[in-house]
Order: sequence, then C-alpha cells, then structure tokens
Amino acid sequence: MAIANESHQEEKNMHEHHGAGRYWLIWGVLLVLTVVTVVTGRMHLPNFGLLLALVIATVKGTLVALYFMHLSEHRGANRIVFGVSIVFVVLMLVIPLADFGTRFRGANPPGSQYSDLQPPDIGTGAQRGRFGGGLRPNQTKDTPETPEPGHH
Amino acid sequence: MQSSAHTADGTANVPRLAAHFASLEVQNHAARLGMWLFLATEILLFAGLFVCYGCYRFLFPEAWAAGSRSLDLFWGTVNTIVLITSSLTAALAVHYAKEGKNKMVGVMFALTLVMAMGFLVIKYFEYHHKFEIGTLPGRYYFYEGMQLPGITLYFTVYFCSTALHALHVVIGMTVLAVAMVRAFTKKDFGPNNYTMVELGSMYWHLVDLVWIFLFPMLYLV
Repeated sequence: MAIANESHQEEKNMHEHHGAGRYWLIWGVLLVLTVVTVVTGRMHLPNFGLLLALVIATVKGTLVALYFMHLSEHRGANRIVFGVSIVFVVLMLVIPLADFGTRFRGANPPGSQYSDLQPPDIGTGAQRGRFGGGLRPNQTKDTPETPEPGHH
Repeated sequence: MQSSAHTADGTANVPRLAAHFASLEVQNHAARLGMWLFLATEILLFAGLFVCYGCYRFLFPEAWAAGSRSLDLFWGTVNTIVLITSSLTAALAVHYAKEGKNKMVGVMFALTLVMAMGFLVIKYFEYHHKFEIGTLPGRYYFYEGMQLPGITLYFTVYFCSTALHALHVVIGMTVLAVAMVRAFTKKDFGPNNYTMVELGSMYWHLVDLVWIFLFPMLYLV
C-alpha cells in the first residue's frame, strides 16, 4: 500500500509541477512594484501616500504568498490559517487606533497631535543622549539644566 | 527525469512514513499545515511592532515624516531588491527539488545565502551610520538636527522592528544552509522528498514578506 501511495504521490506532484517561468514573472512584477512604491513614496503625496504604499505592499505580499509560497495550489486549511491571522492583525491595529483617536485629549501622550500638553524633556540633547540621558560631570556646563516638571 | 525513486534501491530517497499517518500525502499535508500555523504566529509577533508603529505614527505624524526622511532610501531600496531576488532563488530551489536536481537546489540556496549576507552587510552600515550621528532609541538619542516630540519613538520602532527582522534573516540562513549542505552531500531530494526544501523556503519567503511591509512603512511614508 505504501508503495502504491508513493507512486500516486509522485504522479500528483508532477501534475502540479509547472515551469520555472512563473517564478521569474512574479519576480519581475515584484521589482516593478518596488520601483513604483519608491517613486510614488518620494513624491510625498499628502493624503493617500500611506494608503497607496500599503496597497502596493499588500499586492506584493499577496503575490509572494500565493505563488512563491504556493498558497494558490493548497487546499482549505492552509488558506484559513493564513487568512485568519491577517484578520486578527487588522483587528489588533484598528482597535487601539480608534481608542487613541476618540479618548479624552488629556489622556494622550503630551506633545502628540491629540494632546494640548507640552512634551516632557526626556534628555535628548547632543551631550546627554550619548550617555543614556545621564550627564558626565565635566560636560554639565555645556548643557542647560533640565527644569523640574513642576517649574513649567 | 532524474527521479531518485527509480534508482537501484527504490526507497533510497523516500522519507520515512510515521505510523500515525495514513499515507505520505497526509504526512506532507500535516507538515505543511504545521508550518503555516508557525508562520501565523510569526506574523502575529511582527504585528505587535506594526501596531506600535501605527499608534505612534497616529500620535506623532511630524516626527514620523522627519524620521523616515532621515533614512537612506537608496540603500533601503537596494536591500528590498536583494531580498526579493533571494526569495526568487529560494522558490527556484523548491522547483529543482521537485525535479530531483540536487545540485541546482544547492546552487540556488547558496545564491540565497550570498544575498542574505549582502542584506545584513548593508543593514550593518545603516546601523553604523545611526550610531555615529545619534539617531538612537529613547534617551540614547543625541542627534541635534531633528528635535521633535516623538522622534525618539520613531527610532525605537525602527531599531526594534529591523533588529527582529535581522534575527529572522539569520535564523532563515541557518535553515537554508542545512538544506544546502544536504543537497550537496546526501543528494536525496526528489519528487517524493522535498518537504524540507519547501518548508525552509517558506520561512525565507516570510522574511521577505515582512520586509515588503517594513520597507515602505519605515523608509517611505
């Protein structure tokens, strides 16, 4: 029985087997899309730049999954696993964004576009950042003192 | 056709069928499904960083625009092309494994590994430049050319996501190197035995897939 199965398997593999030309074609399409996304990205389109870049990336990702990863030839279970994980990624992204966009302004991080509060000084000066926000004693004279939070 | 199933001892390159599978076909299907489940967890791992990116970009759009313009778009594009081409050679390796052309499988994986090394070398120079000018995460940031609220978060997300991706490149290279050595020494890949090549190649395509999204997110928008 095992032998019969193996020869059947080989026949089936050879039936699914196709020329290498398809891979080269997908590769060419991916390169063209890369050039398109770089050119449109450099234009810094104001409103739909991010959307366009994500659409192009999604098309490229779909081509890789369908043809390089052979998802187009696979049966149900493999597709469901992949599709469901994408759905959950979208959910995980959309819900926190909706939260940040609709919450009480004072609860957003200070300095962000949805807050009216001043950004905190987290010590990103040229001298202090080098030492992880800590100052070396001989360099304190070049860097202004960080005011206490209460002094604003 | 050089199918090894027709060589002298018939069963030389047929993989062992575990007792709990009805047939080789079922066994291969289970292996593939297991790989897809693993890749789904990998996608969700990177998704955590994508959500960080999305939330902080939403809160600090100016810092995000300034940060992405400070990256070197030329080398980012070169790296994208290198990775897409390495994905092509990995896909061709599966193609040749199905035909039993073990030498070509080895050559294709060797090319993939060379391009992966190239990717890491370019990434090293990009990192080196950032350590020089001080566009570093959090409180280690000391670049005076950009002082915006949220700019340190951009570089936190940049370093976390590219470093996690680079770790996956190294893991993928290890997997492909093992398959390459086997193709050159044991030479037993064929129409009935290519699961190892196929699954290793699928991992490599995932690495490519993640970079396809990271590249426009970090360098372009």
